[in-house]
Amino acid sequence: MKYSYTWLKELSGTKKSPKELAELLTMRAFEVEDAKTEGKETQLEISILPNRGHDALSHIGIAREICACEGRKFILRSNLRMLLRSNLRKRLEVEIKDKKLCLRYMGAVLENIKVGPSPKWMQEKLLVCGVKPINNVVDVTNYIMLETGQPLHAFDADKTTGNIIVRRAKKGEKIKLLDEKTYELNENNLVIADSEKALALAGVMGGLGSSINKNTASIILESANFNSTSIRKTRTAHNVITESSYRFERDIDPNLAETAAARAIELLEEYGGKNVKTAAISDVYPKKVKPWRIKLDTNYVNKLLGENIPVAKMKNILENLGMKMLGNRVSKLNVEVPTRRIDLKTPEDLIEEIGRIYGYENIQEQALVAEVKTPPQNAKRDFENKLRDILTGLGFSEVMNYSFYGADDIAKCNLGAEDHIEIANPLSLDQQYLRRALIPNLLRNVELNSKHFNEIQIFEIGKKFRKNNESMAEISILNGLLANDSKNPFFELKGKLEALLDNLGHGNTKYETIDPKYKVWHPARVARILIEGKKIGKIGEISPLVAKKYGIKKRVACFGLQIDKLLELEIKEKIYHAIAKFPIVERDISMFVGKDTKYADIASKIEKSGGNLVKEINLFDIFEKEGEKSLALRLKIGSDAKTLTSEKIDAVMKKIISTLEKDLKVKVRK
Amino acid sequence: MNKENIAGIKSRFFEDISNSQTEKSLYDVKVKYVGRNGELTKILKNLKNLPPEERKEIGPLANRARHEIEKAYEERKKELGERIDWEKEKIDVTLPGKKEEIGSLHPATLVYREIEKIFPLMGFEIVEGPELETDWYNFTSLNFPFDHPARDMQDTFWIKSDKKKLVLRTHTSPVQVRYMEKRKPPFRIIVPGRVFRNEATDAAHEHTLHQFEALVVGENINVGHFKYIAKLFFSAFFGKKVDIRLRPSFFPFTEPSFEFDISCTVCAGKGCPSCKNGGWLEIGGAGMVNQNVFVSAGYPRNRYQGFAWGFGIERLAMMKYKIDDIRWFESGDLRFIKQF
Repeated sequence: MKYSYTWLKELSGTKKSPKELAELLTMRAFEVEDAKTEGKETQLEISILPNRGHDALSHIGIAREICACEGRKFILRSNLRMLLRSNLRKRLEVEIKDKKLCLRYMGAVLENIKVGPSPKWMQEKLLVCGVKPINNVVDVTNYIMLETGQPLHAFDADKTTGNIIVRRAKKGEKIKLLDEKTYELNENNLVIADSEKALALAGVMGGLGSSINKNTASIILESANFNSTSIRKTRTAHNVITESSYRFERDIDPNLAETAAARAIELLEEYGGKNVKTAAISDVYPKKVKPWRIKLDTNYVNKLLGENIPVAKMKNILENLGMKMLGNRVSKLNVEVPTRRIDLKTPEDLIEEIGRIYGYENIQEQALVAEVKTPPQNAKRDFENKLRDILTGLGFSEVMNYSFYGADDIAKCNLGAEDHIEIANPLSLDQQYLRRALIPNLLRNVELNSKHFNEIQIFEIGKKFRKNNESMAEISILNGLLANDSKNPFFELKGKLEALLDNLGHGNTKYETIDPKYKVWHPARVARILIEGKKIGKIGEISPLVAKKYGIKKRVACFGLQIDKLLELEIKEKIYHAIAKFPIVERDISMFVGKDTKYADIASKIEKSGGNLVKEINLFDIFEKEGEKSLALRLKIGSDAKTLTSEKIDAVMKKIISTLEKDLKVKVRK
Repeated sequence: MNKENIAGIKSRFFEDISNSQTEKSLYDVKVKYVGRNGELTKILKNLKNLPPEERKEIGPLANRARHEIEKAYEERKKELGERIDWEKEKIDVTLPGKKEEIGSLHPATLVYREIEKIFPLMGFEIVEGPELETDWYNFTSLNFPFDHPARDMQDTFWIKSDKKKLVLRTHTSPVQVRYMEKRKPPFRIIVPGRVFRNEATDAAHEHTLHQFEALVVGENINVGHFKYIAKLFFSAFFGKKVDIRLRPSFFPFTEPSFEFDISCTVCAGKGCPSCKNGGWLEIGGAGMVNQNVFVSAGYPRNRYQGFAWGFGIERLAMMKYKIDDIRWFESGDLRFIKQF
């Protein structure tokens, strides 16, 4: 809210400059975000904390804070005598139909009003606070709101049936408000009405029909209190926010209504025209709010703040904020809280008041005394960090993407909408669903980076989300992608994946061809990753058809691993194996194999037939010619127990070759 | 006479071969001395014309010389063969190396790691929680009243569901209650993680953010302890002495609540453009845990005290690396990421 420095100075009696005042308030109460000086006046933009809208969205509220911060009591000039009159001519009939939504309604009828401009000093103050002066009646209501925090409203009495009914709107009831827009209301909206029609949307905005104009001669002045939740719902539903609704939705003290009414009547009688006369005052206040008490243990104050604040100082601070000390006990204070401080309910609330006014900078730092212990490790986070380190070592860079994508992505990647979790209030349609896979956003990254890089290697560690009937799962995933100028980047990526898994202690990973459920994968170039028989993830090429939809011209290889599944796998302690004492020899085999014969089968046959004499199998050449595939393998053969004779080695090779020829119908080139 | 001749031939031969730098010239030297018409060959051929006395003396001498020459020739030939032509070996060492690449970690990861290095040294445990969170853990258990504006549609992403009220967590604080339900004080934890806010993005605003939160609970934890730990942490993080300043604030789950500022890391509090001449940088929120939060977690009211504080990873990363637009973090743009 925007405040006038001179107004605050008049009310509080502070001698501080605007700059000093801003500094003081920022450290003790509310952040002063901006100060604009023009001549003698300074406009202070103060950010009122959400729990202090009750009392601090007013000059009196801030003046009270200034006094407390300066160690003084704030004294409010009372006008309540304005309300105590016996000689009123008329009666204003007020009926509250819903006492939950309207806690108090004060109405006053003022006659012989002469509408004209308000005094210059008032107009100036309004302008500093960002309010446009309109006429004396409206300006008084705004001025009082800025001064006390109580929103007021004035109706042209002659445009009403002369009485006030506070009721819920009827379904479909229409009203044209001061913004000249017509609103269709429902039963959740509270209206101020007369016997015939709605006059205002309660606490939000007045109706155009009963508004003050230059011909207005008598008014009904409203100083009321409305339920904060109801106001908030109404103004949200109708998408209209006003100074009035802003305050009511922050919940204000019903007792404030009388202070504001008295002050408004005082000013209207002075500036509302020569013959203005108050004709009636009504106050319907079914359940009077009374001050409440909080018991405060003074030891607890110091124990929570970590200071030694004397009890006298605590009392002094609380009293300066308007609280009363009942009784004389030192260790337990019985604090009576004024009704405007709706935010003060617990001892901790009072401790905060003492702490901030005492000054947090005066609280000494204290070394934490705690038992020495090694904190438990976060195994998952450590593991993810290890993955990151290996992957960057292998040339991958880490990206982080939004957890959202749109129906368009689901369609492009052929993912199927049924197990996606939908956001009820997405920012946009392309962020309507929680990601069921990281791949769509990663493909977007590939497309973006293709403009600047030939070689793209990225990974992301993040959560994917899946709906299973009504249960919602959140799964930690690692995805790695590789795209370069190669027409078949699969093996380059697979090599890196193997290096990663080897390093993690999973040298025994198996890859199994699958028919992918989701057509995001290239149907002929995808494998399931199996470790100890458990499905850990997939590796494959992204379907070129999908890549194309993302504007990607390159071939893209991708792997995905489920982090929790990897983490569950037992990683065996490393045990040293003696370095071979006996020579290991290399032997090559070249062979023609059928187009569908799998390397994995060849390798497993070699291992089986060669037994523990086969130490290593390496593929060093592969080419295809006229429907036949040629593979060249280099085997390392040796024994842990002795030096093998060349006859023995030849025998092993012969056995391997004959097994391959017999079982897999390969043609070994001799 | 011949005796001196042989000695002379030998020494000249040795001189000549040591001067020979190529196999060809070496061979020519060999031919010159022991070729068909070589100097030594001539002597050897002439042996038969010598008187027996002299032949007896010169013969072995000349033959030995030939052997020595042959041997020296072979040695020198080997030497020349193994010799490297350094001139031919010459390369331009200023040419670039063969391209190899180590990938880059995301700057948010780098900041997380810095933080996660410091806190465990002070005995803090690292704890995580789900991103998809219930209304209870995200709001109710943290003392958010039912009509709190933060629950509004415009601040929080709500999940479409008939059964449960689910949100994308708006902060890491739900982990406070999740952790306390299982553990008794005293404890010290930090909670890193991703959070979501339903707001439009611009250079300073993102709907997907990374946060960090610390929670210390015991029987006597107070505001002084918070100031101490915060100062210790930020001094370690920035590698220089950093001061802490608390200002009043409001959060439903802490009471008292603070905004906390650190002394400007650029000018050490003197005032500069980075801190808009104020000498302080706004970092995050903190406070003493509201007793209602302890009660939500199943602790008795007023048995324990604790502090909680949180701040944004992006904000720290932006300060550390001078990044001017928060949207880079979730851009996936390698031109950005490869700088780290």
